[in-house]
Amino acid sequence: METIIGIKGKDFVMLAADSTHPHSIMVLKDDENKIHKISDSLLIAATGDQGDTVQFVEYISKNILLYKMRNGYELGPKAAAYFTRKNLADYLRTRYAYQVWLLVAGYDKKEGPQLTFIDYLANTLSVNHGAHGYGGMFCGSIFDQYHYENITQDEAYEVMRKCAREIQKRLIISQQKFHVTVVDANGVRRLDDITAENLKN
Amino acid sequence: MALNDILKHMPSVGDMLSDYKSTEEMDFINLSQNKVLSAPPYSNPVENLAKLHENNDNIKINFDHGTTTLGFIYQGGVVLAVDSRATGGQYIGSQSVRKVVEINDLLLGTLAGGAADCTYWYRVLTSECRLYELRNKKKISLAAATKIMNNIIYSYKNSGLSMGMILAGGDMNQVSLYYLDSDGTRTMGKVFSVGSGSIFAYGVLDSGYKWELTDEQAYELGRRSIYHATHRDAYSGGTVRVYHVKKDGWNLISEEDCLDLHRRYEAEKKK
Amino acid sequence: MARRYDSRTTIFSPEGRLYQVEYAMEAISHAGTCLGILAKDGILLAAERRNINKLLDNSIFAEKIYRLNEDMVCSVAGITSDANVLTNELRLIAQRYQLQYDEPIPVEQLVSSLCDLKQAYTQYGGKRPFGVSILYMGWDKHYGYQLYQSDPSGNYSGWKATCIGNNAAAAISVLKQELNETPISLAEAEDMAIKVLSKTLDMTKLTSEKIEMSTLTRTEEGETKIKILSNPEVDKLIANYEKIQAEEEAAKKEKLAQQQAQQQQKS
Repeated sequence: METIIGIKGKDFVMLAADSTHPHSIMVLKDDENKIHKISDSLLIAATGDQGDTVQFVEYISKNILLYKMRNGYELGPKAAAYFTRKNLADYLRTRYAYQVWLLVAGYDKKEGPQLTFIDYLANTLSVNHGAHGYGGMFCGSIFDQYHYENITQDEAYEVMRKCAREIQKRLIISQQKFHVTVVDANGVRRLDDITAENLKN
Repeated sequence: MALNDILKHMPSVGDMLSDYKSTEEMDFINLSQNKVLSAPPYSNPVENLAKLHENNDNIKINFDHGTTTLGFIYQGGVVLAVDSRATGGQYIGSQSVRKVVEINDLLLGTLAGGAADCTYWYRVLTSECRLYELRNKKKISLAAATKIMNNIIYSYKNSGLSMGMILAGGDMNQVSLYYLDSDGTRTMGKVFSVGSGSIFAYGVLDSGYKWELTDEQAYELGRRSIYHATHRDAYSGGTVRVYHVKKDGWNLISEEDCLDLHRRYEAEKKK
Repeated sequence: MARRYDSRTTIFSPEGRLYQVEYAMEAISHAGTCLGILAKDGILLAAERRNINKLLDNSIFAEKIYRLNEDMVCSVAGITSDANVLTNELRLIAQRYQLQYDEPIPVEQLVSSLCDLKQAYTQYGGKRPFGVSILYMGWDKHYGYQLYQSDPSGNYSGWKATCIGNNAAAAISVLKQELNETPISLAEAEDMAIKVLSKTLDMTKLTSEKIEMSTLTRTEEGETKIKILSNPEVDKLIANYEKIQAEEEAAKKEKLAQQQAQQQQKS
């Protein structure tokens, strides 16, 4: 399974996701984007069943946009994460349960940054840092060591690089490239990819 | 006569069918509404379908499987290449299957997996694309066509469909390439290969692929990749077909028997 | 022939009117008065209580003012049994939103959701519209304090101050006179509410039994405080109003006496 990781700072949230698209034992594609931009202040990183992730994120994303059209203001990141969780939970006990693992990242001018961890059982947790997938297992201790309350964006990016390096070193599954995206008061911004080549420098 | 009237006399499915009393329930809805497929007359098709194979009565359902298909984008457009063998288990059902479906003047698709599933849904897609044209007075984009297909396939996820498709086409002054499968995947990319022979095709394809290929080089790369797959994979074979897709439409480049190709390539090697 | 167009809500009259909806509005104009005033530091709703009978059990305190959720209160004018159905629906809508988004429903969304229901009853066959107008006061993080009004047709609108029910037009014209561009404080609004009610209600003397009043404010900690004024508190407001009124009366008399004296001197 693929990796998605997230770090929350004082005034931003940063997400990273590997760009492989596996298909049985093969890599079908190595430039898949798993960090979906929902609005100028909301991101959802999703991994899990190939069909489900796209369908589910699209469903949530369109509903959140519909909310904005209807009401003239956006759903805050907390409410958006809760709405996502609610939908996932409602589908869980049906025949159409979505097999998706999510990180919902958002920035609200009043409430500040928000990072929410949601798993396929709709377990939901507001976190300072979080990760999904096999690669994510290697990231926990890195976060514990390097994450602190006032972490800057540059430092967070460096932590992402540490995570990527560790995944490439210790995980048997090849994950060559990571997309990184940040959301803060200025909106959503894509940062440079973390690749096996630029990790050598 | 409805499906269950036939099936209820068969021991392996008889008990599964006991819940169904009415014959109307299992009429073939898809004849009138082609997007609605009648599910097999028992619950949990994926699991219960397998039971048919385990039982020793005389029902033999072996879906046609085993294929090599590929598609890639390069500077001159898209090349699609496919074999033509259809197998049902160990048995070669056909050596002359057309695995590239001509959806319209601009769109092509390849089929892999369940041949029946693929051809059926391609026919539905073809009619949907034509209806789009009639309703909107313009050709459908590949993005939209693949989305229609993906939404249909996704609604039948975990119902036992088996498909892996590569679609190519020109729209908005560019050509693009999509991969779709019965897990509900729909993704754009540069190089795809699908089917049991894909691991062999990828070997040749990846090592020879670059963006700058000329048309002739690209055709040859596609052809050779399929040929090598037919050579190594018992479930691939027959004729190697190569198609070229450009912004303004597609062309059939070649149809050659893989044995002829084999002889030619072997001869070239000896030179 | 008019009967043909007013017995069903779904049918327009040749003049393009929906009589059943208009009759529902008419029913409300006989109901107890409700008024709302938006102040800079809070909002208030005040309502006329009609059922005053010594035999009534007054442990059932609020009759026309309903709390909808932690941030909203409404007051109704019209058929009370219809109102109970609607307030129940309002509470459900508010809780459904809370369940979906884990935050209180924004005020306008609650109002417009209920108005969708009200509208439906003016269109679908075999139904009678709800004979209820509602005043809503609430707070949300998007637009702060808000005051809305909705009527049986399903229309709604936001106000600085407004009134529904018996003599509403008169009350609104008093409010228009009293209010100007500068926002007032909640304390001033309370006094104003008593003044407007005393001028519009058909009674010689206001008493706390006849008036229900509720205020909504935000605390420093960011919590909504909803208060239903007790009878002594309302009495205090009334007493204050009467005192001022008496003083004004006295001042007027004195002025009149002075004028008369002056005129006498001149002559």
